[in-house]
Amino acid sequence: MNFKKQFTEGLLTKNPVTVQLLGMCSTLAITTSLFNGLGMGISVTIILICSNVLISALRKVIPSQIRIAAYIVIIAGFVTIVDLLLQAYLPDLSESLGVFIPLIVVNCIILGRAEAFASKNGVLASAVDGLCQGIGYTVALVVMSVIRELLGSGTFGGGLLNGGLGYTVIPDPYPAMKIVMPVGGFLTLGVVIAFSQWLISRLEKRNKKKEAAKV
Amino acid sequence: MTKKQTALYVARLGLTLFLITALVAAALAAVNHITAPRIAAEKERKTQEAIEKVLPGGGKLVDPGRYDNQDGLVANVYESDAGYAVEVTPTGFDGTITMMVGVSPEGKVLGISIISHTETAGLGAVAASDTPDGESFRNQFKGLSGELTVKKDGGTIDTLSGATITSRGVTRGVTAALKCVAGMG
Repeated sequence: MNFKKQFTEGLLTKNPVTVQLLGMCSTLAITTSLFNGLGMGISVTIILICSNVLISALRKVIPSQIRIAAYIVIIAGFVTIVDLLLQAYLPDLSESLGVFIPLIVVNCIILGRAEAFASKNGVLASAVDGLCQGIGYTVALVVMSVIRELLGSGTFGGGLLNGGLGYTVIPDPYPAMKIVMPVGGFLTLGVVIAFSQWLISRLEKRNKKKEAAKV
Repeated sequence: MTKKQTALYVARLGLTLFLITALVAAALAAVNHITAPRIAAEKERKTQEAIEKVLPGGGKLVDPGRYDNQDGLVANVYESDAGYAVEVTPTGFDGTITMMVGVSPEGKVLGISIISHTETAGLGAVAASDTPDGESFRNQFKGLSGELTVKKDGGTIDTLSGATITSRGVTRGVTAALKCVAGMG
């Protein structure tokens, strides 16, 4: 098991949002404030770790013919548990994420990790994989949320800081409302993907140099 | 594989899936048992808070037989000496808006409060927010009566910028609440 490698993959080189392009629906829809982005990211991370651990633990019991059905039942179970807990203990977050919490069931990141990783690896490695991929998803969502909230609503930390109103950075008539609308989601996603590609290419160049120096 | 082996294998697949499903169902039942009362209490608290906002002192639930629900928008009516709080559910830009409308015994709007909605953040959602724009949008209904429409439709209600459909929905909800109270006499 290589924690550092898994972490770099989750965060950057195999980031679920910017490289694998999974879970686009929630990524585009809910990244309108820091509160939403962080809440969604943490919810998905928790579900991802739990489903990865359980699926990995049951990987020898579940016959391959029915594995997809079994995975979906397990994932749906965890999603519903998180949904109920949010409704009961964090009603504000539950309301602002709305239908996108139940929709985590069909978020390809979770089924994707179950199929590609948890079904082939041990429990601990799967838990780490869930954590790393979850962190990658959360970071991507938070970056998009901060950009869209700042440019679109002119605030930072809406729903979370300063008693829920957030701190106003750009005063009222100047924020570009379109950024918090769907079109702004696509534009922001494109820019974030481009930036992460640039980071990845730099990382690769550095690694090559290191190898060359070794030789 | 012989026929018997195949049958056994299929039965095993079914049983495995059944066990996993049963396990998940049991876990869900346990979680639901803990959270259900809290979720119900939270919903009730929100409704009471909304009533309190538009009808100080709160009110008692009115029997549905006592009012006429022509548009089908009225969910509940609460009553006190100070007037009525009508819970209406008009359709906004993106789904249902659940809101409470306070109406005086003379049939004038006392205030409105939006309980839940799924309008676009930054546009329609302003109608429910605590921002100055949201406050002034909701406050303009105070004291009005009769059939209300937005300015674009020849009425008196100022729409929120970029959210005509949300504004129309809220206005339709207020009108339904006024009609409901007028019909109660």
